[in-house]
Amino acid sequence: MALKADIKILVVDDMSTMRKIIKNMLSQIGFTNISEADDGATAWPMIENAIKEGRPYEFIVSDWNMPQLSGLDLLKNVRSTPGLEKLPFLMITAEAEQGNVVIAVKAGVSNFIVKPFSAQVLKEKIDKIFK
Amino acid sequence: MSGESHFIEFSKPFIDAAKNVFETMVFTTLETQKPIMKNDSVSRGDVSAILGLSGELEKNGSKCQYKAMLVVSFPYDTYFKVASAMLGEAYTAYVPDIKDLGGEIVNMIMGNAKRDLKTMGYSSNMAIPSMIEGKDHSINYPTGTHVVLIPFKSTHGPIYMEICYSETE
Repeated sequence: MALKADIKILVVDDMSTMRKIIKNMLSQIGFTNISEADDGATAWPMIENAIKEGRPYEFIVSDWNMPQLSGLDLLKNVRSTPGLEKLPFLMITAEAEQGNVVIAVKAGVSNFIVKPFSAQVLKEKIDKIFK
Repeated sequence: MSGESHFIEFSKPFIDAAKNVFETMVFTTLETQKPIMKNDSVSRGDVSAILGLSGELEKNGSKCQYKAMLVVSFPYDTYFKVASAMLGEAYTAYVPDIKDLGGEIVNMIMGNAKRDLKTMGYSSNMAIPSMIEGKDHSINYPTGTHVVLIPFKSTHGPIYMEICYSETE
């Protein structure tokens, strides 16, 4: 793996099973430093605190549809924060509509993945983000 | 075309989507068995994941509203095997770790089917998935809907998909 294994990753999804699946896939790919949040609203203070502590997240993997703060709104928060304009942000969604891709790209997403997906597809998306 | 004939074309994207989801995330192929119209409300499985859908159908210059529901039901043993395959751990009971797994499966099936439904003239809004668990549990279908039961064979055991659908002017 070209990327360092201990890159600090935050997985955000309101479904615990999906968080587990994504974490398993990231582990399979070789990543070792993975945290999780159950909503965008939980993730945002974690991202802010990590900056304050001087150990910011280096990669966000987020679901789109979440009840409190959506992945899109989390992305907008990230992009409007000085220093996070280029934080790699992979959006995951169950809805395979082209309109969603356009909205996410306009908001500054680094890449986009539609469920269902395999570990191989996740790896390819990550490789494209970090190449 | 009547609502009943739309129902047949409406069901196909869900079958394709279910096959895709199970092949990619559960590492099993689904073999479609003969669909039947269902006339009772008792689930064929022990764990059911349910997701509502509503929207507008625009076809041949005419428009109508529709409502639909997707149900995927599993016998306990199948559900535990599916959870074990998806999450990489062995499950033998309906524990909190796997309670939202069925919801995630119907969410993915519906999300995939939505793309094909759009090309067929259906706009659609998805609800939030819910779960029902227990032997011989009942499913509360929206009134006035037709229900088709599509059984699947898989290496993890039988899986039952139900689609109900109705149109209003």
